[in-house]
Order: sequence, then structure tokens, then C-alpha cells
Amino acid sequence: MSRFAAVSVPKSETVAIQLTAPNQVKLSGTITQKDPSSDLAGFFKALHTAAVADKLTEVRADVSGLTFVNSSAIRLFVDWATWVKNERSQRYTLRFITSRNVTWQKTSFAALMSLMKEVLAIEQVT
Amino acid sequence: MALFERPPPPAAAPQTTAGSKSRDGGTLSGRTLVRVICTAGSGALEYTHAFISAYAADHLRGAVAQRLSVGAYELLSNALNFGSVSSDIVLELIEADTLVGVRVSNEAIQARISMLSEHLLKLRSNAEQTFMEELRRSVTGGIPRPMLGLARVSHEVGLTLELQIQDRRVTVTAQCRR
Repeated sequence: MSRFAAVSVPKSETVAIQLTAPNQVKLSGTITQKDPSSDLAGFFKALHTAAVADKLTEVRADVSGLTFVNSSAIRLFVDWATWVKNERSQRYTLRFITSRNVTWQKTSFAALMSLMKEVLAIEQVT
Repeated sequence: MALFERPPPPAAAPQTTAGSKSRDGGTLSGRTLVRVICTAGSGALEYTHAFISAYAADHLRGAVAQRLSVGAYELLSNALNFGSVSSDIVLELIEADTLVGVRVSNEAIQARISMLSEHLLKLRSNAEQTFMEELRRSVTGGIPRPMLGLARVSHEVGLTLELQIQDRRVTVTAQCRR
């Protein structure tokens, strides 16, 4: 059984989270909590650990429906990419599905990509 | 706690100014659409941001509303994090003929004001480079904590930042064309 699909999804007032495939997580809404790491950092870490255990070659994080995130949330994506980069035994590609219609996503993910291009991929949807 | 009120006429311009490169004009002076007065406390940031974002989305073009939403959040977040707890924080959404912006004012200690002025000068010099530096510091876990907020406002959503200082009162405006 996929460990990735079995990861427990946290509940949040502002962001909806779904595991939509054995290697895909979808987030939509907004992340505005002052410290989103209390909910989401553990969840992302659990996804990362499960992806390694499942020997996935790619994890897809669909953030196209995230209309706003604060800078603390951007750091969570940075952390996730860093865990992948530091993974020696079972590194996978972390592919962010982004929207070209959401302003913050264009610059932030392009910048993150330039820093972590060996482990990241960016895909744009409408 | 946040108080939403009908705004009085625009105030006179404060004394000292600095800020990021002024792509979208000088000091924003115009009609205050919304004024929110808040103090540090649970939910002040999230509820005020939600209100301002909803108002902007209803009254302004979608792309402009998105940009101001980021500006409102990051400016208010800074005010709540670095401002003096004993004074009110005032957030205003302002529109002029060709410009629109969000303005946040709060009191702060001199060290914080100096840090803010220095950061804005860096952004004025090169917003993209500063944004990348702060993001890189996020990757490496930099100390002191990365200051990504204003870099996002300036580079990511392209708002022009203006800083005005009067004694211990700091006012930061993030503005763009309507």
C-alpha cells in the first residue's frame, strides 16, 4: 500500500488539502496563519518521508489553487525542496503545479527553481 | 482586535521619506477607501487581511487586488511583529487618480526603524537581488531570520514602497497603478 496516500491530512480553516493520487497533493485556498509550520511542516515532512519510502520518482504538489500564501508558507516550500535536495538514497523530483493567473506563484516558484533546479520542476496550468 | 471605520480626510504628509525606486509616482495622496485600526492580538492579521483582500477584490481589477493583498498582509505582519505593542496600527487602502495603495503605520523603536530603512534602501537598489538573497537565506536557514516579506512586496508583486518617519511613527506605503 502507498505510504504517501496514507499520510494523515491536517485540517485547516483556510486551506483545503487533498491527496489526489499516490504521488500528488493538492492545496487550495490561502495560507495566512502567522506560523503555518505548526500544521503544514509536519505534513510536508510526512509526505517527503513517505515518498522516499515508496521510492517515488516524482511528487506532484498542485498549488495552482493557492491564491495567497504568506512568506512563512513560502519557507515551507523551500524546506520541502531542501529535504529533497539533501536526500541521498532516494531523491525524487518535486514538481509544483502552478497557475499563471496567480501573481505570487510566478515569481516565487521561478526564484525557487533557480536555487534548486536539480530537484524541482515547475508546471504551469491556467 | 480590529476596528473598521469610515476614514477622515487625508492627513498631511509626514516629515522624513525614503523607499524603493518610485516606478509608480511619489507619495500616494488620495481618497481613503478603508481604514482599519488594530492592535496586536489573536487574529488581527488574518481577519484584517481577509477583509482588505475581499474589499480590494470587489473594488479593484483582479491583478491589482492580488498585488495589494500581498502588500497588505506583509506590511501589517511587519507592523505586528516589529511595532510597539502599546500603540495602534493603522492600515489604509487609498486610491488616487492613477494610483492605488495600501498604507500601514505603527510606532517602533529606533533600532527597528533603522533596520527597516536599511532594508528598503537595499530593495530600492535592487529588488530582485534582495528577494533572491532573502530566499537563499531561507534555504540556508540564515540568521537573523530572512526578511522575505517586503522583498515579496517589491519584487514579487511589483509594488513601489515608500517609507515615512515622524519621530517613532513609521508609515510604509505600497502602491501601484490602478
